[in-house]
Amino acid sequence: MEDVYVTDWSADSSHLPAPVDQALLDEAKRSLRIDVAQTGFNPALGRIPTVETQSVSLNTTLDFVPAWTARRIPMKCIGLTLPEGMDFLPPKVDTTKSSDGVQLKKIGPAKAEPDLVDGVEAPKKVTRIKPPADALSLQDRLFYLLQPPLESWLAGQELIMPFEPFAYQYEGIAWLFASQAALLADEMGLGKTMQTITAIRLLLRSGQARRIVLICPKPLIPNWQREFKTWAEELPVVTVEGNGARRRMLWTMPGIPVLLANYELMTRDIADIPEDEQPKFDLLVLDEAQRVKNRDSRTAEAARAIKRRRSWALTGTPIENRPEELGAIFEFMEVVPKGASPDLRQLSKLAKKYILRRTKDLVMKDMPPRIDRDADLELTDAQEYAYRVAEKEGIVQLNDLGDSITVQHVFELVMRLKQITNYDPLTGQSAKLERLMADMEEIGASGGKAILFSQWTKTIDWLAPHLKEFNPLIYHGGVPTKHREPILAKFKADPDAHILLMSYGTGAVGLNLQFAGYVFLYDRWWNPAIEDQAINRAHRIGVKNPVIVTRFICKNTIEERIDRVLREKRELFQAILGDGDNENVTLSMNASEIFGLFDLKARHKDGGSKSIGPKPLEKKADAA
Amino acid sequence: MSAAGKTDPLRLGFMETMEVEGRGHIGGLLITNQNGRPLEFQCTTPVKPNRTQEILFGDSLRPWLLGELIGCTLLDRVSIKPTLIITSDLNLLELRNHTNIPVACAAEAKSKIAEQGGTLRIGGSILRFHDAHGIDAELLSKQKHLLPDSADISEPLERVREALAETVKTVFAR
Repeated sequence: MEDVYVTDWSADSSHLPAPVDQALLDEAKRSLRIDVAQTGFNPALGRIPTVETQSVSLNTTLDFVPAWTARRIPMKCIGLTLPEGMDFLPPKVDTTKSSDGVQLKKIGPAKAEPDLVDGVEAPKKVTRIKPPADALSLQDRLFYLLQPPLESWLAGQELIMPFEPFAYQYEGIAWLFASQAALLADEMGLGKTMQTITAIRLLLRSGQARRIVLICPKPLIPNWQREFKTWAEELPVVTVEGNGARRRMLWTMPGIPVLLANYELMTRDIADIPEDEQPKFDLLVLDEAQRVKNRDSRTAEAARAIKRRRSWALTGTPIENRPEELGAIFEFMEVVPKGASPDLRQLSKLAKKYILRRTKDLVMKDMPPRIDRDADLELTDAQEYAYRVAEKEGIVQLNDLGDSITVQHVFELVMRLKQITNYDPLTGQSAKLERLMADMEEIGASGGKAILFSQWTKTIDWLAPHLKEFNPLIYHGGVPTKHREPILAKFKADPDAHILLMSYGTGAVGLNLQFAGYVFLYDRWWNPAIEDQAINRAHRIGVKNPVIVTRFICKNTIEERIDRVLREKRELFQAILGDGDNENVTLSMNASEIFGLFDLKARHKDGGSKSIGPKPLEKKADAA
Repeated sequence: MSAAGKTDPLRLGFMETMEVEGRGHIGGLLITNQNGRPLEFQCTTPVKPNRTQEILFGDSLRPWLLGELIGCTLLDRVSIKPTLIITSDLNLLELRNHTNIPVACAAEAKSKIAEQGGTLRIGGSILRFHDAHGIDAELLSKQKHLLPDSADISEPLERVREALAETVKTVFAR
């Protein structure tokens, strides 16, 4: 414990003014006694403080004080009025005066009051529209940033949506809306049509577009018409049809918000319209954009010739055969210079910026599965005999051709053999039909519906009478376009119609048949992408039950060999592109692979032989 | 209400301010229709009070700077005048002393503001009005039916903040 010392304040008090009460002073001294720790400064603390006073004269004048008044700091503003705001701007004072000097007032039609309907409950997740990377000006970027979240925009009173879109569809709509050039490459069945229509609707509503043209394959025109009616009932959609004069009028007539045309008419009509009358569109949409994959084709040239501000392409298979096809679509989108051949690295960079692609595996985890099963069948006796004879004779003929052989020669033999695996033309025996009938009995009994795809309309027409008890409906290229929609409607509505017979060419794209639980691939297409497109007619959004896909493959035939080649390619590409994307496995068989289906050897006169292979620059099989 | 007795559509103003490091404050005002669709947007250049202003205004500096100075500038500037101005900053309520347009501060319905007087509930939000203009809540409650039930009254403020951030990034950061 530290020692404590007591200090006595015994300083001289003689200088204090008299009279001072000594008793008070002593009392004061006592009260000032403090306990001070020994620090060496104690004598200083013992000293009585001295207080002195001094008189100061007052200033007679005030110093200068800077005057200050609250005032506004000058500020500048940056602003934009959005297209919809134009209607709300206060009217400008009209200074128009009549000859007698009386101010005139313009009279216009009264504006309709907005029709107010109770809104729906606010969704929890919000999708904000992001400004596109190529929007450089602040005003452009603010335009997108200031738009309401897509969910509240679409759920609001102005845009009634028949169904609530999925989250990934909101993202797709927002992405399209903000894109000048876009390739929506979602896997089939994920709703490219709905996303496109909704984005178009938003563009029109926000004043970003007034005139839009959508080009699609001819069989899909009724589909687009129907989808527009479902998703954007209020939009007037005009289809380009009729004679040349009428079509030209439709192409050039302003004031049509959405124009629908097929590729053939686009190619024909655009070239016929003089340069100074060429229509200008705010947006050009190409559905099934793989149609412009060949940049030198008339179709691609016509599409590129259409004047427009925005270019959107839709396809589930951006690359069907070669990466250059993607380059051709990019050229249409005007993101690469004309005639440019971007390499793989450049394509990959462009793809990140301009392609939005989602697969079912990634976005629809809760979608019922697609169950693939291969039906390996033995040919019937009659088929077996016909097949072996045809194969033997065919190979002999091909060998005799020697070096003059082309892929077309091989192709013809393949086609003949494939047809025999479908049914024997002489006896009508068919292992596939037997299996099909067995499966259909079960499907028919349970009230199910099936879609059957074949490469040949002849096979479909042959099958129909055999399947009479299942009320088959036929949908192929031979059916007039105007009869096609009622066929699909009947297939959906008629509980007794259990099977729809379709050709790959006509039925593989764009149709919504998700109420069918079974798909039969009666024969195999050359390109798995086309097969997948066909399967996805049934296995798409809205499907409630698993879809069972049956591929008919006859053992020890050309079908088995083709299947092996396609399977190997699929595996190879899955290894390269990853499991998430099973869609780009689309390279169809090339010439050397078709030659490889048979062991072809040209015989020399001296008795020897040599292998026959494709010549350089052979046409690809899928082009046939 | 218009002279014809019909209900005028609501035009909502959403006002926010943001501090730009070293340069002061900027403000933005977004005008939307009753469905939240944007009609007009204005934002100011940065404004910074000097030392004298900071000393003399004391606690009233922010209401003066944000509410009166920035708020009035924006309101003067917009061509489409709003029926109601909504903000998330209580300082901006000061603007109400300089305009006839009601100004309200939006907060979550669960927040403490909800327990105070002079408030109005819209959707999941509570609007608090200026203490000296309690009648604003009453007036606005008569027009409340013009807003959709689903209206998220705070959401457009987020858009204003994003737009201000974009403006700072694009223009003032150079």
